[in-house]
Amino acid sequence: MASISLRSLTKRWGGFVAVDDQSLEIHDREFLVLLGPSGCGKTTTMRMIAGLEEPTAGEVWIGGRLVNDELPKDRDVAMVFQNYGLYPHMTVRGNIAYPLKVRGVRSTAEIDERVRAAAAKVQLEELLDRRPRALSGGQRQRVALARAIVRTPQVFLMDEPLSNLDAKLRVSMRAELKHLSHELRITTVYVTHDQIEAMTLADRVAVMNHGRIQQLGTPEEIYDDPKTLFVAGFIGSPAMNLVEGELDHGRFLAAGTVIAEVGGGTRSGVVLGARPEDLAISEPGTGSFDAEVYASELTGESVLVTVEISGRRIAAKADRQTRRAIGETVGIRVDPARTYLFDTASGDRLAR
Amino acid sequence: MRRFWKAVRAVLVVLVALVMMVPIVWIALAAFKQHVDVYQLKLLFRPTLENFALVFDSPYHLGRKLLNSTVVSFVTVAIAIPIATGAAYSFSRFRMRGERVMFVMILATQFVPAVVIVLPFFLLFRDLGILDTRIGLILVNLSIVTPFAIWMIKGFIDGIPRDTEEAALVDGSSRLQVIRNIVLPMAAPGLVTAAIFCFIVSWNDFLFALILTTNKAVTLTVGLALFQAEEGDLWNLLAAAGIIIMVPMFVLALIIQKHFVQGMTMGAVR
Repeated sequence: MASISLRSLTKRWGGFVAVDDQSLEIHDREFLVLLGPSGCGKTTTMRMIAGLEEPTAGEVWIGGRLVNDELPKDRDVAMVFQNYGLYPHMTVRGNIAYPLKVRGVRSTAEIDERVRAAAAKVQLEELLDRRPRALSGGQRQRVALARAIVRTPQVFLMDEPLSNLDAKLRVSMRAELKHLSHELRITTVYVTHDQIEAMTLADRVAVMNHGRIQQLGTPEEIYDDPKTLFVAGFIGSPAMNLVEGELDHGRFLAAGTVIAEVGGGTRSGVVLGARPEDLAISEPGTGSFDAEVYASELTGESVLVTVEISGRRIAAKADRQTRRAIGETVGIRVDPARTYLFDTASGDRLAR
Repeated sequence: MRRFWKAVRAVLVVLVALVMMVPIVWIALAAFKQHVDVYQLKLLFRPTLENFALVFDSPYHLGRKLLNSTVVSFVTVAIAIPIATGAAYSFSRFRMRGERVMFVMILATQFVPAVVIVLPFFLLFRDLGILDTRIGLILVNLSIVTPFAIWMIKGFIDGIPRDTEEAALVDGSSRLQVIRNIVLPMAAPGLVTAAIFCFIVSWNDFLFALILTTNKAVTLTVGLALFQAEEGDLWNLLAAAGIIIMVPMFVLALIIQKHFVQGMTMGAVR
């Protein structure tokens, strides 16, 4: 068990900056998710923690130890790779036992017992004598997990471990991961571009973009209180509606729209954000503005109604009994308290 | 129409096979013929093993040449493959200054015709005093075989996913342990294939052995020239020696086939 501390960590390849002067404290036993679009530096950050990538500048501390100059094997971390990284020439048993053997555990009985225990945690006992190629994707992922947990490391690193699985399996493996991490309580850094994984698994989420952490907080904070335009747009599915306009004495003005009492005084260059689930469909003339229905999609648990106003599309989540025809005019009611204001130029959140 | 083309194809296959097989069959038959029968093309004759006994006897001493060939080829492979594996691994996994140039240079050595470099080798070896020694031949063969092996093995190592190696690094291996425990077993079919190719190349080498050896280190291929005597070409003995040269290659070809299939089906676990 250990905390991790990244201090002014930077990684450059020539002129390309992958990770830009990044500092981050990860608490002992915390499950921290690095979330961001591809190329945002999240995997590079994790690889620098593992020691697979050398930082251009900055320090990595694990458990109070500066590990910049230590080899991956001396950092006492375990990693699960996106493509599993299994050893194809070894059986499942051999794969799981490898970290023990290579670290000098000689007693066959002990190895056998620990392999069995690790395999049992991920329901692999039946498959110990198979080769990786004879396993399904989900089973391979379990082998990679078992190999990581077989020797109680100080830190778990997981690099998009679920992204190669099909949608259904991903959901069930996600739950298993959550259960496993709760059981083991080992400091975990988890890289993903999937916000649902981030929201469901994390104690805290670090949303990254362009090599920098945009916001660090609990899933609730990230979702309810996005600090930047990027976080607001990246978190949430369907994505937050973002409309450019200006403020006039606390009223938000955009083409065809006036929303009262959003606050913020008077200024131009403002983006108003509202999540689809915070918008309500009403009869024409009774909402904040009227618009024509562009599409209405039943997703099962709800209906996603997209309306078009002045060439801009806005999505609203309605309950699943809602039926609206394309081309119909509806009212959209905006709750001013559930809106967000951002500065267009800097992307920063504005105070009300 | 389809049948017609099928027939054409069959005929062509047979023709090609004939062109390739006839000399080999002729030699295989001649090796068991007596001198008087050699020039007759009849398939029915009284087979004899006498030729094989003769070539191993004085004045030909093919046994010594067989030993030379064997030692030279095996030692060449035993040195070339570890060196090539190390080089191939570095080229595959590490980025270094001038890497592309180096790699192309390694390939470029293969473009130089052997005849061009055999003379410098001769002068060099004469000054070093290693003319007509196995060590000299091994050195020359290494210079021919190693670049090729590097290219070949690099291809196989490129096929090993980086994830697998990095997993082993994080799991607690040193770089050398990764190579021993992960890379070598996974690249094994490639290593075997490269080793066999290297063996064939040095086993079949004629030009270098011809120029650089005279007596002590003469190899099988050069030894064949001994059968061009004053009384004419001793085809039956030549054929018997030819068989002795070919049989190990034939066995190797069978093994290589098995490993080729393995190499192709191994693939990475994804």
